[in-house]
Amino acid sequence: MNRNYIFLTILMLVLATGTLFVNKTIKLKQVEPQQLLMEIVQPTRYVNTDLVAKMIIQNDPSLELIDVRSANEFGKFSLTNAINIPLDSLINESSLDYFGIPGTKVVFISNDDIEADQAWVLTKRLGFNSIYVMKGGLNRWMETIIQPQKPSDDSPLTAFETYEFRNGARLYFTGAKIDNEETGKVKVVVRRKKKSAAASGGC
Amino acid sequence: MKILPKDTFLILCVFGLDSFITRKIQKMHVHELNPWRTLIALSVFIVILIVGFLTMHKPLLKYEVDMKQSMEELKKPDACFSPVELNEFLNKKNQNVVLFDIRDNFTFGQGHIPGAENISANELTQEKNIKRLEDLKENGTTVVLYGEDQLQANGPWMLFRQVGFDNVKILLGGYQYYIQHKDNLADKTESDFKKGVPRYNFAEIASRNNNTQVNSETAAKKSVVVRRKKKAVAAAGGC
Repeated sequence: MNRNYIFLTILMLVLATGTLFVNKTIKLKQVEPQQLLMEIVQPTRYVNTDLVAKMIIQNDPSLELIDVRSANEFGKFSLTNAINIPLDSLINESSLDYFGIPGTKVVFISNDDIEADQAWVLTKRLGFNSIYVMKGGLNRWMETIIQPQKPSDDSPLTAFETYEFRNGARLYFTGAKIDNEETGKVKVVVRRKKKSAAASGGC
Repeated sequence: MKILPKDTFLILCVFGLDSFITRKIQKMHVHELNPWRTLIALSVFIVILIVGFLTMHKPLLKYEVDMKQSMEELKKPDACFSPVELNEFLNKKNQNVVLFDIRDNFTFGQGHIPGAENISANELTQEKNIKRLEDLKENGTTVVLYGEDQLQANGPWMLFRQVGFDNVKILLGGYQYYIQHKDNLADKTESDFKKGVPRYNFAEIASRNNNTQVNSETAAKKSVVVRRKKKAVAAAGGC
C-alpha cells in the first residue's frame, strides 16, 4: 500500500466530513436578505377590502384568508371562511402547512395592517409566494364594506360604482333586509267617499 | 452557503487536473517511482480549494437572528421610537439619533421631519447605505426609520433588525401622525399612536340588527292622506 493513497483517502474523508457541516447549517430554506428587502419595498402585496369582499362573495376557491389576531378576538368576529393563526404561532410547523398550497392566494388580516404585514415579512422570509396583505385591515373593512360612505355629488362615476358595490356587499355580509330601501316610498292612502247622489243623465 | 458557478468551475478544474494526472501516472506506471508528482498534484488541489474558499461570494447582509427571535424582536418595546421620544429629539434633549426618511425624494421635498435624511426605500439595499448603517451601529447611534405611515417603514425595519442592526427603530405612527400632531407631540399617550388595535366593536357593527337601522337616510316618510273633495253638484247631462 502506497503512502500517497493513504494521504488521498484521508484528504477525501476530511472533505466529505466538511460537506456534512455545510448541510447542517441550512435548516429552513430562506430568502436572501437583500432579495427580501427588494420585495418588501414593493407595494404589490397590498389588496384592498373591495377586492377581498368580491372574492368572498364570488366564493373564489383560490382565496385563503388568514386572520393573525388572537383567538379571543377571532372568536368575537371574523370574516367568512377565515382561518385563525395568531401571529405568535405563525412559524409553527402546523401553521406553515397552510402556506404554499398551489393555486391559492393567502391574504393576511389583522385589526389594521401592521400585524398582517409583519406576518407577511416572516412568511416571505421562508420563501412562500402568492401571499398578500389586506390594506387597512378590519378597521377599514368596517369603514368601507359594512358602513360605506355615500360619495359626494361631484365624485367621479367610479366612486358611485364602488359605493353601489359596497352597499350590495353590506347586505351580503350583514344579512340586512333588502326591502329596507322600499320603506322610503310615500304611501298613498285613498279614501273614497260615498257618493251622495247617483249620477244621472247620460245618453 | 451557496455554490456559485465560479466555485463549480474550480471544483471541475480540480477534478480535471486530478484525473489527468492520475491517468498520466497510470499510463507511465511511475507513481510509485515518482511520489513527487502526486505531491505536486495534491498541493495544487489544496491551493485551488483555499483560493476558492477565500474568494467565495460574501453576501452584503446576513440573517443574525432566526425566525423565533425575529418574532420576539417585534414585541420589544425599545425597538420602537414613539412620537414622545421624537419630541425630545426635536427639542435637542436626545442627540444620539439619526432619522431616515424612506419616502421617495419628491415627497421628501414636499415636507419632512426637521433633521431627517432621505434614503428612499429603493436605495436601502445599496452598499453605501448598508455601510452607513454599520458605521452608525458601531458608534451606538440610534437609527429611526419612518415612512408616510407606519406600514411603509414596517418591512424595512423588520428586515434590518433580522440582519442584526439592533439600533434600528421604527417611528410609531409615521410621518402622517407627526404632521397632524406636530405642535403637541409631548402630550400624547400611547393609545393615540398605537397601531394594531380595533377602532370599532366589529361584532356589533357587523351585526344584523345594527344594519337594519343604519339607513336613517331612507327612513319611512309620513304617509299622506288624500281626501277627495265632495263634488258640489252631481254630474249632470251628457252629450
